[in-house]
Amino acid sequence: MRGMEMSLNQTQKLRLQRALELLETLSSGINSNSSVTVADTIPVNQEDGVLKGHGTTELEGEVVATVCGVIERVNKLVYVRTLRARYKPEVGDIIVGRVIEVAPKRWRLEINFSQDAVLMLSSMNLPDGIQRRRTAVDELNMRSIFEDDDVICAEVRDFMRDGSLQLQARSQKYGKLERGQMLTISPYLIKRRKQHFHHLDQYGIDLILGCNGFIWVGEHVETKDNMIEEEPIKPDPQNNKSKTSMSLEEEEQTYTPLETRQNICRIANAIRVLSTLGFSITIDVILDVVDLSISKGLDIHEMLGAEFSVLVAEREAERRNSSTRRKR
Amino acid sequence: MAAKAGASPATYSPSPTTYKKNRPPIFTDVDWVRPDGRDFHQCRPAFLRTGAVNAASGSAYAEFGNTKVMVSIFGPRESKKAMIYSDIGRLNCNASDNKEISSQLHKSLEGAIMLDTFPKTTVDVFALVLESGGCDLPVVISCASLALADAGIMMYDLVAAVSVVCTSSCLGKNLVIDPVSEEENYQDGGLMITCLPSRNEVTQLTITGEWSTPKIHEAMELCLDACSKLGKIMRSCLKESSSTSQE
Repeated sequence: MRGMEMSLNQTQKLRLQRALELLETLSSGINSNSSVTVADTIPVNQEDGVLKGHGTTELEGEVVATVCGVIERVNKLVYVRTLRARYKPEVGDIIVGRVIEVAPKRWRLEINFSQDAVLMLSSMNLPDGIQRRRTAVDELNMRSIFEDDDVICAEVRDFMRDGSLQLQARSQKYGKLERGQMLTISPYLIKRRKQHFHHLDQYGIDLILGCNGFIWVGEHVETKDNMIEEEPIKPDPQNNKSKTSMSLEEEEQTYTPLETRQNICRIANAIRVLSTLGFSITIDVILDVVDLSISKGLDIHEMLGAEFSVLVAEREAERRNSSTRRKR
Repeated sequence: MAAKAGASPATYSPSPTTYKKNRPPIFTDVDWVRPDGRDFHQCRPAFLRTGAVNAASGSAYAEFGNTKVMVSIFGPRESKKAMIYSDIGRLNCNASDNKEISSQLHKSLEGAIMLDTFPKTTVDVFALVLESGGCDLPVVISCASLALADAGIMMYDLVAAVSVVCTSSCLGKNLVIDPVSEEENYQDGGLMITCLPSRNEVTQLTITGEWSTPKIHEAMELCLDACSKLGKIMRSCLKESSSTSQE
């Protein structure tokens, strides 16, 4: 199994095998006839009415695959869908990214894509909340908003002409993410849903499932109202380092309690286990896995062990089995 | 070093004893038995696996006898080196800083990859030879094309590579396919073909040493036949790995 670095003993291997086989039989409609490798010919019925889509090319009148994957047909369109697909961005996607460069009037973010995304200064709310033109002073103070290696949540605004993304972070729920963990998983495990921001009350944690495969698990932050008078940002370098030179009272206020930190780690480990096993990540599945680990009384670090992975696989197989039986 | 004492060392001329290869005298009528007991026209059994490296977009591991190679692919991703906008992608090959293998790998792969499907970005190919047991470059090329297919880079076809050495003085006037390091040392000439098996097209042909025309024809036919068989093995490896991940 890709990414499975743990050693399983014999019984664990058998159990995992059985669970995976059960899942395979339950999976809908994937037959091995439709899987192709590079340069396999794709069987098409009418040669004149077929649209050659992504992953295909024409060779001597035949449609031939250029990637390894599964053939999908939609009316006259034939295309090859790769199994471990790269992230395909769409306008309106929620993205979690990391700043790699502060450039003139924009930030460059690394998202799990072939090119870096761009967040323009004008697509970002100013700290004082006023809607106004960005001046040269604003441009010089960009580092006080986001610096290198900051984790940011934003939305895809549109595509630039060369295919890279333009982002916008104009709402209160977007912006810098602090006090938490960012996880990287394969993008195809996160399906597009109505809600990507989840607030887990019982743990006091915010969970953001970025469509690009970056997930943020962090302490819950109340979205502040920017209209309240805050300390004006002074353009001198000393204030930018205010994070490191906080007074003791400020440090006490921003201290994350141990229980919240443990919950963050537990949820992050649950996501890691699910991504190693290759299951789709949704909020229900994550909460299910966390409940399973708490009910079994496992320590947080034990969640990454072999035994728990096998348990999660069995539980998922059982869950899907019962849901398909209910459908019938 | 042939510098005599007292002579001015203006030029260096190697002494005649140093540049002859250190071969034990082998007579032409003695039959050479290959160290692993193969026939002269038999290739080594190939062990191929994709998905060896988790951090990479795609990767493959190949073991042909004692030659063990791992290739990882990163990309398409942005590269600091590519400053100019180009409407086709770039391919960057690195075989642990071995310039010769890297440039030959680049030449053989660029004919098979559709570079215009990833404009402005770069695909990085990193090849690592874990153990060199002869016939390194063809194994690296085949492994790299498997890794590219694993990474989902669009290609015209898989690239299969095979090499053949011809010997006239040592190994009994035979064409030896898929040589081990020992046989490579005794060669009089070497021929390597990288081809696209399903399309029957050749991306690179490298001939070195002494060859006669009929021998070249024979060697090329041998190689192309071996390439098509290797192509089938590579496709079955890809199909197997894709069927295990279809959940």
